[in-house]
Amino acid sequence: MNISLNWLSTHLDLSDKSVSDIDDLLTFAGVEVEGVVPKGVASDKIVVAEIKEAEPHPNADRLKVTRVDCGEGELRQIVCGAKNYKVGDKVPCALPGAELPGGFTIGETVMRKVESRGMLCAASEIGLTDTEDGLMILPPDAEIGKSVKQLFDSDTLLELEVTPNRPDLLGHYGMARELAALLKTPLKPLDIPARETTPASGVRTEAPDACPLYTAVRITGVSVGESPVWLKQRLEAIGLRPINNIVDVTNFVLHELGQPLHAFDAAKLSGAIVVRQAAEGESFLALNESRHALTPDDLLISDESGAALALGGIMGGLTSGVTESTTEIVLESAYFTPRGIRRTSRRTALGSDSSYRFERGVDPQGVLTASSLAVRLILETAGGTAEGTTEVAGEAPVLTRPVALDAARLDQLMGGSILLPDAEKILTRLGLTKLPDGTWDVPSFRADLRRHIDLVEEIARVHGLANVPARLRGTFAPASPVDAAHDSDMRVRQRLAALGFYECLTIKLISDTQLADALPLRPLMEGDVIRVKLPLSEDHSVMRPSIIPGLVASAARNVRQGVKSLRLFELGRVFRNAGGGKARDQESETLGVLLSGPVRPANWASPSPEDADIHDLAGLLSTLIPGQPLRLSPRDRKGFVLSGDIKSGDRNIGVYARLHPARERELDIDSPVFCAEIDLAKLRGFGATTRRIEPLPQFPGSSRDAAMEMPADLPNATIEKAIAKHREPLLVSCECFDSFTDPTGTRLPADRKSLAWRFHYRAPDRTLKSGEVDQAHQNLLEAIAKTTAVVYR
Amino acid sequence: MRATDWRILGFDEPRVPRYGPRLPMNESLSAIQADALARIDAAEDPRALEEARIASIGKKGALSLAAAAIKDIPKEEKAAYGQSVNSARAAITAAIEAKQAALQDAADQSALAGIDPTMPGRPLPTGALHPLTLIRDEAVGILRRMGFALADGPEIEDEFHCFDALNTPADHPARNEKDTFYFDSGKLLRTHTSSVQIRTMEADAPPVRIIAPGSAYRRDEIDATHLSVFNQLEGLYIDRDVSLPDLKGTLEYFLHELFGPSTGVRFRPHFFPFTEPSFEIDVKLEIKGQTPRWIEVAGCGMVDPAVFKAVNGSRGDNAYDPAVWTGFAFGMGLDRLAMIRWGIKDIRLLIENDARFLSQFA
Repeated sequence: MNISLNWLSTHLDLSDKSVSDIDDLLTFAGVEVEGVVPKGVASDKIVVAEIKEAEPHPNADRLKVTRVDCGEGELRQIVCGAKNYKVGDKVPCALPGAELPGGFTIGETVMRKVESRGMLCAASEIGLTDTEDGLMILPPDAEIGKSVKQLFDSDTLLELEVTPNRPDLLGHYGMARELAALLKTPLKPLDIPARETTPASGVRTEAPDACPLYTAVRITGVSVGESPVWLKQRLEAIGLRPINNIVDVTNFVLHELGQPLHAFDAAKLSGAIVVRQAAEGESFLALNESRHALTPDDLLISDESGAALALGGIMGGLTSGVTESTTEIVLESAYFTPRGIRRTSRRTALGSDSSYRFERGVDPQGVLTASSLAVRLILETAGGTAEGTTEVAGEAPVLTRPVALDAARLDQLMGGSILLPDAEKILTRLGLTKLPDGTWDVPSFRADLRRHIDLVEEIARVHGLANVPARLRGTFAPASPVDAAHDSDMRVRQRLAALGFYECLTIKLISDTQLADALPLRPLMEGDVIRVKLPLSEDHSVMRPSIIPGLVASAARNVRQGVKSLRLFELGRVFRNAGGGKARDQESETLGVLLSGPVRPANWASPSPEDADIHDLAGLLSTLIPGQPLRLSPRDRKGFVLSGDIKSGDRNIGVYARLHPARERELDIDSPVFCAEIDLAKLRGFGATTRRIEPLPQFPGSSRDAAMEMPADLPNATIEKAIAKHREPLLVSCECFDSFTDPTGTRLPADRKSLAWRFHYRAPDRTLKSGEVDQAHQNLLEAIAKTTAVVYR
Repeated sequence: MRATDWRILGFDEPRVPRYGPRLPMNESLSAIQADALARIDAAEDPRALEEARIASIGKKGALSLAAAAIKDIPKEEKAAYGQSVNSARAAITAAIEAKQAALQDAADQSALAGIDPTMPGRPLPTGALHPLTLIRDEAVGILRRMGFALADGPEIEDEFHCFDALNTPADHPARNEKDTFYFDSGKLLRTHTSSVQIRTMEADAPPVRIIAPGSAYRRDEIDATHLSVFNQLEGLYIDRDVSLPDLKGTLEYFLHELFGPSTGVRFRPHFFPFTEPSFEIDVKLEIKGQTPRWIEVAGCGMVDPAVFKAVNGSRGDNAYDPAVWTGFAFGMGLDRLAMIRWGIKDIRLLIENDARFLSQFA
């Protein structure tokens, strides 16, 4: 909300306060000061000039060469591009040396070979509000050579953010009332004589819940026209454009008292005003020319013809408003309940300064005051005659009731930092009154004060947290399962970072197209994807069921930037339904890893390092969790290649895959892209049990090698399985250390491969004899050959 | 290295005729020594040196054969002859050792020649944690020292936990479909981590002292200062006699730990439906070459009794009796803290995962 400091000063004396004092005061009263904009002419070197001549510029079609009188005894030549003036007009002229808003200084220049000694200015160029396109035309009686600054008051515009619980601050008077209470200075009383009221005859309310109070005044013989200077200046000071005297008065009263008003052209009404619910589907054409289909939940201001004149409290209709030919008006001032305004405003997406206030809650006791002020100002500015009385339908609801202040609890909450009498003084300053029974009577404009704690809040706010002592204490809290999860996740993160991976953070809302990259632990079925109802865009419409789509998008982005080596990971939540939508809204946490491109950064010593392959991914997974080698177990995944499950022992804990080569080409990634996604809950489980440390071996062991030949497509895992199944007690470890194939078929048939394995044997309690090792090795090799298609070479 | 070590090279000793040159005289000892020293001196590599050694003091070397000839020396000359042999052997051995050292030294020198340590290093892949992780872990670390434990809750929430129980009016603008992501099921994406307050109080009886870092969602178009998915850290402390001094002490301490002990901290009155009184917290950002300015980092306040009432209703007991228990809650934007900490001007950098950005945290 915009507040003009000059306007504010009409209600209280702020002469000894600087702008920064007021900024602080508002800030610590709970009103956020979002901007402080100085308004008005700042430089003394902007003077009133009369245009004496204006000739076309010899070298530019759009410019003119003017000669102006600035009261210097001789004319000043200035090149000007504006069109809206005529010779004889008086305009602001910035002389060389004048500083204009935006921080630039006027000098003497040559524009297209013609000398220009100053600048003729538009209002906005000298810190005022434009009322027309082009130069600012000053009143004809402005004295030539006089500083323009003296013609216009300077002002300060405060851009404020008022919290939703304080609608009483949404007007200059309310803001002044608050400042007066905080500053302990007197507030100038509002001088608005009350008008007489009569029960309404020209108004009928059929929806008293939505509109408990509706008042109307008929004013005849008005002449719609331009507002006087003071009124236009008030509105311009807060950034509003004056329209005509009637509309300007209603806008002024809204920003003065916070009470929205509406003026109807009486000629366009037939019969009494009817405040009623809209019919289902009833059409309303708003002032801003948007059309809306209404529901019975919406409140219409109508008449006996049934016409939809205004959407109550929100916006007038296009056809019922005041125009230049209007001579008779009906001035509405009413109280609309916040709920209805909010609902209609949301449904129709119509909002206005009026609905903004009604939906937060205006002061029901201020409805008639605002009407009286508006009537007086309309008569002053537009002439005419007002009906002797204001018609009133319904009555002002009482929204406040006395509230008790619990002194003991106040003392506890404030840490004893304020004495009760001082606390009570704060309430009194804020307009509350202590009743004989000790409770506090709340003024009608503070309907937000309903409970003890609301009074405490006021006291704490005015007292200030700066005046409350700080206490350092707390209870002990045992670590929760979430703590354990956090620690486990941090270890995984640190390990991956140490292994040369960058942690990513991707948006959890992804696009439908990105779903193709998803690699969830269990494949998605129809109905498993969770979509938001009203996405901001197609790109962010689906809750990610997997981290991989985000990582793939990040990879593609980096590739576009010329990054070759991609080592990315992310830990975070994924979302899905399960069983085709049966189990809904399941959230789990996973680790996603993406690996692509050179395994090492290229350098002078190895200018083209090889690209990561599936074995690099396998290597990463085998070392990711200390003491828990994870293994790859191939299984087809639609849309991917080289895919499968990630296993810890027999348990599936994740999935891995290479993107389909077609997808890699689509993304312009030249190297294979490997991905893995692992269930974090299962990874965390590994950290839950403390590992026992093995004693170091006391006796030497022996190794034996074996060269195995087998069909090329026999997985290594089959051999591992056979070895494990044999359970040789002396075998302590084994590994495949070489692999040989010959695609030409000369040294080995092309459909065969040869693997070299090394086996380590050891006994914990003695040095093995050579014969024992040989025997154990022989037994193992036979066992492998029995269950697999392996032959020894 | 000792001379004998060279034998491990496995060179065959040269065969010498069994009945070789006879009776070398003293003069011939001098000749043998001179000849050996000359060969040693001329040796250019370990192999030549070893050959010289074998030819002179090897088992069948010239000096060894000459030494064996002592048996033919007249008795009275034996001692002098023996001495001459020994002195020749000592001279030859010393020359061999000196030559070995010189050759090794030369080999070591040549092994190091031509290495330019100023060439660029052969890089290892670098990795890094995301700045959001860094700031979150730091904040969590500080608050854990202060006795807060971690808590959690779903991101797909219902209106009760996200709004109703947090004292948000039924027609509050935050519930607007324009501002909040809803699902057809009626559920929504939590608009703040404050819903974890309710989840925690439903599950655990007081006292409660928890923090909950997590994501929240608002229907904001993504731009330099907004993300539709952002990250918060929520805190809640409920106990007997928790007061504004506790809130102030706790949060001032936290912010001083995070931003430095001399950082200015101020509490501005504000409004949140679920706390009363409510405050926003600013810290004074003082950067060299910039005018110090107050920037908002957190919101906080005393838990509104209406929240306790809602929790009790949901629990079906009076565990959170507002007459007995009071508490404070706070929330802060982790993305914002990261932006402040590292001077990040555009929030989108946090989700774009550009390696040029991420590598700055390595």
